[in-house]
Amino acid sequence: MSTNLKISNVTKIYPGCVANDNISLEFESGKIYALLGENGAGKSTLVKILSGVIMPDDGQIFLNNKVLKLNSPIDAKKNKIDMVFQHFNLFETLSVFENLIIDSNETRENLREKIKSTMEKYNFSIDLDVPVLNLSAGQKQKIEIIRCLIRSPEVLIMDEPTSVLTEQETSELFSSLKQFSEEGILIIYITHKLKEVMSICDEVAVMRKGQLVSVSKIIDEKIETLANKMVGQNLKTVKKKISKEKSKEQLIKISNLNFSSEDPFETNLKNVNFEVNRGECLGIAGISGNGQSELFQILSGEIISESNSVLFNNNPIGNLNPQQRREYLMAFSPEDRMEQAAIPQMKIFENVALNNFKSSNFFNGGLINEKKIKEHSKKILSDFSVNTDNVELKSQFLSGGNLQKLIIGRELITSPELLICFNPTWGLDVGAINYIHETLIKINEQKKSIILISTDTDELLKLSDKICVIYKGKLSKIMDAEEVTSEKLGILMGGGEIV
Amino acid sequence: MSLDINFIGVLIASIMASSVPLILAASGELITERSGVLNLGVEGMMIIGAISGFALMIVTDNLFIAIIGSMLAGIIISSIFGFLTQSLLTNHVATGLALTIFGIGMSAMLGKNFVGIPGKEFPVLFDDLSETIPFFGPILFGHSIVFYFAFILPFLTNYFLKRTKLGLMVRAVGDSPDSASNQGINVILVRYLCILYGGAMCGLAGAYLSLIYTPQWIENMTSGRGWIALALVVFSTWNPIKILIGAMIFGGITIIQLHMQALGLRIPVQFLSALPYIMTIIVLVVISRDSRKIKLSTPSSLGKTFYKEK
Repeated sequence: MSTNLKISNVTKIYPGCVANDNISLEFESGKIYALLGENGAGKSTLVKILSGVIMPDDGQIFLNNKVLKLNSPIDAKKNKIDMVFQHFNLFETLSVFENLIIDSNETRENLREKIKSTMEKYNFSIDLDVPVLNLSAGQKQKIEIIRCLIRSPEVLIMDEPTSVLTEQETSELFSSLKQFSEEGILIIYITHKLKEVMSICDEVAVMRKGQLVSVSKIIDEKIETLANKMVGQNLKTVKKKISKEKSKEQLIKISNLNFSSEDPFETNLKNVNFEVNRGECLGIAGISGNGQSELFQILSGEIISESNSVLFNNNPIGNLNPQQRREYLMAFSPEDRMEQAAIPQMKIFENVALNNFKSSNFFNGGLINEKKIKEHSKKILSDFSVNTDNVELKSQFLSGGNLQKLIIGRELITSPELLICFNPTWGLDVGAINYIHETLIKINEQKKSIILISTDTDELLKLSDKICVIYKGKLSKIMDAEEVTSEKLGILMGGGEIV
Repeated sequence: MSLDINFIGVLIASIMASSVPLILAASGELITERSGVLNLGVEGMMIIGAISGFALMIVTDNLFIAIIGSMLAGIIISSIFGFLTQSLLTNHVATGLALTIFGIGMSAMLGKNFVGIPGKEFPVLFDDLSETIPFFGPILFGHSIVFYFAFILPFLTNYFLKRTKLGLMVRAVGDSPDSASNQGINVILVRYLCILYGGAMCGLAGAYLSLIYTPQWIENMTSGRGWIALALVVFSTWNPIKILIGAMIFGGITIIQLHMQALGLRIPVQFLSALPYIMTIIVLVVISRDSRKIKLSTPSSLGKTFYKEK
């Protein structure tokens, strides 16, 4: 039996923004549809309407040519429309089993059987009786998917499903999605990642600023054409300028660095050695969870090590905290923008002041010099083209891209000698990614150095002068970026050897 | 010798009796908090329950109506809290504190004409059996129906939370109201029900004090038991069985320190009076210090206001 889902003239208006402007789309089962757009284009609003979480101001939805009135997620579920949300909709303290049965009326015994057979069918293996808290992002997503599958859905909506997955988990997800599609489930796949659209979708609808820009078949599209539609302008691609004169002046040296953690969820680092010269960018590749966050924390001073294991300008700084390291002109951009880099409930200018307690004139004798901070914050907002000029705005209302621009801008206040970034473009849209990349290249051109820890291989190849791979807490040999290919990196990231 | 054993049995029974209001109020508050709502109005709801129960008993001369009425009074006053925090989205802490102050003042006003009136004897069950078995007799028999209910309640609460669908929904709402709402659970409704249930149990706890434990109305007669019940919920790490243990320790030390005071030991009275509070907290902290279990049983959304997307 085939399923036909039609969205007709759907409009949703929030104060100050039209999230969906008269959108009409049609979907047929057996295909995977991409809904492509930058952050804030209105994709999530549209699928929230489809799944009954919010109600449209205008327009209708038809399932198999019958009008569908969706007043709550329960209505959507009754009509076999299920959704895996971008931010997991799981209950961390409940067990996997309890998470799966929460909205079902069947007996626990029946459900356990059903879940087991579903998991066998799709080759998922997860212990049902552990709390969700302890699981990896990939496993959590599988739970969400199983929760949908046990209701045998006809429409499955996936909202940005790969943003928290490793490459291996992503490819597992893709093969599952293809399997579901072959079984006749209509799949709507929301993303801003062009490569993913090209590799698994059949048709693509592009949204921009609340409007539907185009609907087309994947075979008629290329990454470049989709990117232009999505951003609405011709994107210039950022290319790395390789400076000819290479500096030999060493800036930071890590020697014989070891770290062993008591927490079983952390990775131990084994004998890490590297150095970075002035004006250089060292890229550190790897699948997430191989010791990157531990390495970042040691470099930033969140974890303290032996003083001699980190030499900065020949000063032993391994035992200094982040504040003290900043005085040596180091700067940091951590992975989690909302949790580690900024305080979301605080205003922009307050966040700007946070990393500059000493080396700036933001504070006079213990009092906050609000005027100076605000002036400086305004300058950051305009210099780094953050899309607001209101320094009183709470940081939580900035989109990921704008927040990242603000953070990089803040870190560059002290004109640091070394900037250490961890996944600086994670979850950002193409425009913001390009902007961040250009900024990082500029830093290098000014003879400042960068350590770039990233899980995005393309980004590393584009920005780095030297690249190495971290695998299970060990660093590979350091290679010149020109002789590295993404294939080579892939082998090293999987724990293989290259000759 | 048999007299001694019987005395200990009677002592234990009196300890159990003094812990009944704590068990009732704390079990009710536990359900409320498990759904993510922090209601600091326990003391206020208890005292309203106490005066309503007593007043109804005097007016109607019917203990059944008095008990049911006290629970209804708890439900009504907690519904004010529910309306404010769930429908008008006010802050849980401030609203709960206001509820306590309101309850104490209101009960004093309502109770003016009931001060000094003697209560009525509350019927006890299996009274004739209490003499038949030494030691266990006084512990097991000759108590009010509320007493028996209180000692079954923690187990029922545990079963409800762990084994029933509604209990699972309560825990889910407390863990992540946003996820629950996206799964189609009516978060506001679940929270309302939990608040009202908490109110009913606090009302019953108050009525136990004014109808059974010390059958009379005295202004401010809950004397901080509501706050102890709140502390029990937190220090038991939201575990109903540990509430039972905590309430027994509190009741036990309260009774024992009274006996010690009567013996005229040279320990300052103030210290003895403070002892139950200190010991209960120390014991509960010690039995609940597994940080992993704390993380698993603490309702993550406790005290946070939930806004539904529209």
